[in-house]
Amino acid sequence: MMSVDAPASPAPEAAPPTAGATPIRRRRRSLTPWLLIAPALVIIIAAMGYPIFWQLKTSFQKYGLKQQFNPDLPPDFVGFDNYVKVLTNPDFLAVLGRSILFCFLAAFITVILGFLLALLMKRVGKVARLILQIALLLAWAMPVAASMTVWVWLVDWRNGVLNYLLGRLGLDVENHNWLADPTTFFVIALIIVIWAAVPFVALSIYAGLSQISEEVLEAAQMDGATGWQRTRYITLPLIAPVLSIVLLLQIVWDLRVFTQIKFLQDAGGVANATDLLGTYIYKMGVGSADFGSAAAVSVIMLLLTVALSWYYVRSIMKEED
Amino acid sequence: MSATTSARRSSAGSASPVRKPKVSTGRRVSGWLWTLLAVAIALCWIFPVYWMVNSSFLSTLTLQRSTPTWLPFGGSLENFRNVFADGSFVKALSISLGVTLLTVAVAIVVAFLGALAISRFRFKGRRSFILAMLLIQMLPAEGMFIAQFKMMASWGLVNNILGLTLLYAAAVIPFTLWMLRGFVAGVPAELEEAAMVDGLSRTQAFLRITFPLLAPGLVASAVYAFLQAWNEFTIALVVMQDNDMRTLPLWLRGLVQASATRETDWGLVMAGSTMVAVPVIIFFMIVQSKMSSGLVGGAVKG
Amino acid sequence: MKKKFVSIAALAATTALALSACAGGGSSASSSSAAPATDKSANAGKSITLWLAGGDTSDELREYLKTTFNEKTGATLKIEEQAWGDLVAKATTAMSNADTTPDVVEVGNTQSPTFTYAGAFADISDMYDELGGDKLLQSFVEVGSVDGKKYTLPYYFGSRYAFYRKDVWKEAGITEVPKTLDEFNTTVKTIAEKNPRDIKDFSGFFLGGQDWRDGISWIFANGGDLAKKEGDQWVSTLSDENSLKGLAQLQDLYKNASNAPNDAKDSNQYIFLNDSDAVVDAAGEVTSKTKLNAATIMAPGWAHWSIGDLKKVDGKDTRVWNDDVFGTFVLPGNDGKPAPVFAGGSNIGVSAKSKEPGLARELMKIIFSADYQKKLGGAGLGPANSDYVSSLGDDQFAKALIESASNSKLTPAAPGWATVEANSVMEEFFSKIRDASDLAALAKEYDDKITPMLNAQ
Repeated sequence: MMSVDAPASPAPEAAPPTAGATPIRRRRRSLTPWLLIAPALVIIIAAMGYPIFWQLKTSFQKYGLKQQFNPDLPPDFVGFDNYVKVLTNPDFLAVLGRSILFCFLAAFITVILGFLLALLMKRVGKVARLILQIALLLAWAMPVAASMTVWVWLVDWRNGVLNYLLGRLGLDVENHNWLADPTTFFVIALIIVIWAAVPFVALSIYAGLSQISEEVLEAAQMDGATGWQRTRYITLPLIAPVLSIVLLLQIVWDLRVFTQIKFLQDAGGVANATDLLGTYIYKMGVGSADFGSAAAVSVIMLLLTVALSWYYVRSIMKEED
Repeated sequence: MSATTSARRSSAGSASPVRKPKVSTGRRVSGWLWTLLAVAIALCWIFPVYWMVNSSFLSTLTLQRSTPTWLPFGGSLENFRNVFADGSFVKALSISLGVTLLTVAVAIVVAFLGALAISRFRFKGRRSFILAMLLIQMLPAEGMFIAQFKMMASWGLVNNILGLTLLYAAAVIPFTLWMLRGFVAGVPAELEEAAMVDGLSRTQAFLRITFPLLAPGLVASAVYAFLQAWNEFTIALVVMQDNDMRTLPLWLRGLVQASATRETDWGLVMAGSTMVAVPVIIFFMIVQSKMSSGLVGGAVKG
Repeated sequence: MKKKFVSIAALAATTALALSACAGGGSSASSSSAAPATDKSANAGKSITLWLAGGDTSDELREYLKTTFNEKTGATLKIEEQAWGDLVAKATTAMSNADTTPDVVEVGNTQSPTFTYAGAFADISDMYDELGGDKLLQSFVEVGSVDGKKYTLPYYFGSRYAFYRKDVWKEAGITEVPKTLDEFNTTVKTIAEKNPRDIKDFSGFFLGGQDWRDGISWIFANGGDLAKKEGDQWVSTLSDENSLKGLAQLQDLYKNASNAPNDAKDSNQYIFLNDSDAVVDAAGEVTSKTKLNAATIMAPGWAHWSIGDLKKVDGKDTRVWNDDVFGTFVLPGNDGKPAPVFAGGSNIGVSAKSKEPGLARELMKIIFSADYQKKLGGAGLGPANSDYVSSLGDDQFAKALIESASNSKLTPAAPGWATVEANSVMEEFFSKIRDASDLAALAKEYDDKITPMLNAQ
C-alpha cells in the first residue's frame, strides 16, 4: 500500500525548510518518525493486511460455501469473471446508481445543513447556542442500534408518531406505509442518515468558524459589506478546508451506509429495490454465498470511492507539500 | 494557530465585546427569530432521543394506543427492571466498556505518535503514509468479515476482547491520526524549543507546554473513537460468537429479535436502547466542556 | 486397570472419529461405534456447544438437554441461542473452522440444503434408524439429505393455519368456516367488502405483499409447485399452468380481500388481528378506534400465544386467548383435504468440523429420544418423530397443527434455495403480484431469475 524506500537513498529534500507557519523539524535522516508511525502501521497491517489481500485474491476466484467449508478444495482462479459478471448485471448497475445518488444527496445536504446550523450557532445568544449544542450532542451520542430502533418505530405505519403528526396537520396519511415505496423509503433513510451526521458536521464547522477573527469580519462590516457578502467572501474561503474535509468524509461514509439501510429493510420495504452497495455486498456474501463476486463488488466500490473523492484527496495531498 | 486557541475561546464566549453600538429594534426582533429557530431545530434533533426515553417508562398497552403518549405520566421503571432482570445487560455492558475503552486508549496513543511524526518530521514515505491513511477510510467493510474471521480464528482471538480491540483500533486509527495532526501542527515547535532554552528537558517541555494545548484535540479524537467502537455492529456479530461475549449493540439486537415470535415489547426495547445510550451520554458529559473547542481544529488542518 | 484401558479406547475412537470427520470434510462416512462417548470420567472436562435458532426452544427444554446430557456423558453442554436473522452469517464463518465451530447446529429447514451440499454437516446416515428412521418427518429428512446420505434431521415442525375474528365474521353475516379453498376466497372478499366495523384499510384476509410463505399455499393447492428436478437440474416452475392458477387467485385476494401493505412480510401478522387499543368508557364501550386491521390471518401455530385480549398477568401485559372472539381453522383445499401449507420448522445436525463428534452424536440421541420428543410436543412444537405427535395434546391448536401439517409441503430441496431466500427473490416476486397486468410474464421473468440460483452451489 505504501512505498517504503530504503532509508539509504539520499534524502531528496535537502533544501532548507520552507518558511511556513509551522516549521517542520527536520534533522539528519533519523529513525524517529519511523518509530513514531510504527505502532500505527503494525496495528493497521495486522488487522487489515490479510483481509485486504484475501479480498483482492478472492475477487479473482470462484469462492462459495463449498470452498469455505472445505479447505482442501482450493478455489478456482477465474480471472476477471466475477468483475464481468457483476458489471454486466443490471441489478448491480441499478444499485450502483442508487448508491451514488444517495451518497451525494446525503453528503451535500448534511454539509449544507451543518454549515447553516453552525452559522446559526454563531448568530444566536449563549443560551440558545447551548440548547442547540446539547441537542446535537445527544443526537450524536445515540448508538445506531438504539436510534434505528426508535426511528423504525417513529415511521411505523400503524402506531408511528410521524403519521399521527402529519394527520394532525390535516394530511390524509393514516396507515400510510412510508417504507413500502422505494422512493419514500429512501427519503426516510436520507432523513435518518442526515439527522445522525449533521451534529458532527455542524460542530466541526462551528469550531472552524470560531477560529475566524472577529476583527476581520468587523472591518468588512465597517467597509459596508452585507451579512451575505461577509459570509460569501470572508467566512466561506476561510473555512473551506474544514468544509472540504468534512464533505470528503461524508461522501466516503455515505457511500458505504449499511446499518441504517439494514435496519429499515428488516422493518419493511421491498428488499431488492432498496439495496445500496453496503447491503448488496452483504447479501451477495452472506446470502448467496458468492464470496468471489462480493469481493469483486468491494474492490469496485473502493475504486469508486477513490474516484469520487479523488479531487479532494489530491487537493489535500497538494497542501502536504 | 495555538495562540488563537485561548484568544478564540474568550472571544467566542462573549460574542464581540467591541461592537456595542445601537442595536436597532429590527435587529432585536430578528435576533429573537433566530433564537426561536435555533430552539425549534434543537427540538427536532432531540425528539427521537426524547421519544426513546419517554417510551421506556411506558407499558406496551399504553404504547399501542392510537394517540401517542407524549409525557411519561403514570409510567414506571418496570421496563428498566426487566432490562436488568437476567444479567445479560450487565455482562454486555462490561464487554462493551472493555473493548471501547481499550480501543480509545490504544487508538489515541498510537495515533498521537503517528500525528507527531507526520506533522513534525519530513521523511521519505510521509506522503504515502498520509495517502494510505486517507485510503483506508474508504475500504468497504461489509465484504471483509469472512477474512477477518478467518484471521481471528487462526490466531485464537475469536470471542476475545483483545481481538475485537485490534480490529476496532485499526479501523479508527486513520481518522484519529488525521484529526490529531491538525492539533499537533497547531502547536508551534518554537514554543517547545523556547521552553528548552529555558532549561526544560525535551520531555518536560512537551508535557508542560505542548500537551495542554493538545488536550482538546485528544478529547475530540477520543470521542470519535469511543462512538465508533461503542456502536460497531457487523464485525462484533461475526467475531463475538459466544452469547456471553456480546457487545451492547448485539445485546440490543437480541432484545428486539428475542420477541420475534411474540409481539415486540417496545417499552422494553426502548428501555434497553436508553441503557445503551446512557454510558455514551455520561462520557459526553464528562468531556463536554472540552468538546466544542476540541472538535474543532482536527479537521481544520493546521 | 480396566478403566484405564477403556479411556484409552475412548480416546482412540474419538480421535479416529475426529480424523475421519476432518479428512472427509463432511462427505466422510462416519465411524462405526459411538459408544465410548458415554464414558463419564473421560468426558468430565469436556464440553460441546449446541446452537439453537431463535427462542422457540423453551428454557425448560434447554435445561432438560443440559442435565440429561451431563448425566449421560459426564460432559457439559453449552447452549447458544442464535437469532434467525444472523444465523447464516454466523454459521458460514464459525462452522468453517474446527476451533470455532459449534458441535450441533439447528438451521431452518429451508436453509438446510445449502449447508448440507456445501459439506458443513457430518454424515449421520448410520444413526438414522436409531434416531427414528422412517418415523421422522420425511419432507424434512429430504432437505437434509444429499444423494441418499443423511446430514441433518428434522428438529421440530410448525404448520400454518388460519386465525380469525369470530365476532367480526359474525358481524359480516358469516357464521360457518369455509370448507373449500374457493369458499374461503369468496368469504374473505365478502368480509372485506362489508367491513362491518368501518375500519380504515381493513382486510378480510390479511396477506402481506411479501408474505410468500403463506401465499404459496394457493400455488400448492392448485397443483402447482415452486420448482421441480429435471434430471440433475432444478427448474423453477412459477409459470406452469397450475402455479398460474394459484397466482391468479392470489392476485384476486390481494386486490379484493387484503389491504396489507405491499412490503408486509411473514412476521407478526397476528398483531393485526388483535385489538391493540383497549380504551373503554364506563359502559364498556370502546371509545377510541381500535387498531384491529384484519378479520383473518394465516400464521404458524405458535402465533396463538400472541393472539387474544390484552390482560395484566403477574403484572405483565399478556395476550389471553378468548374463544368468544378468536377462532382457528385449517386452510381448506378444493379436494376435501386441507390445503398444502408451508411447513415451518427446522433441522438439526452435527457439524462436520466438530472436535467432539462422539459427544455430539450422543446429544443427537437425546434430542431424538422419546422423552425429549414428547417434551417438544408438550411445548407446542411439532415433534419430528410421528410416534410422539400425540404429545401435542388435543386442544384446538394442536388439532389444527396436526391437521394442517398432514398435507404440508416444503420449499424445494435444491442446493441454491437458501440463495433464493437470502436474496428475497420470492418476496420481490410476491410484492409484484397485486399490480401485475400480465401474471404469466411476471412468473416467467422470475422463473428465469430463480432457475440458475437453484443450481448454484
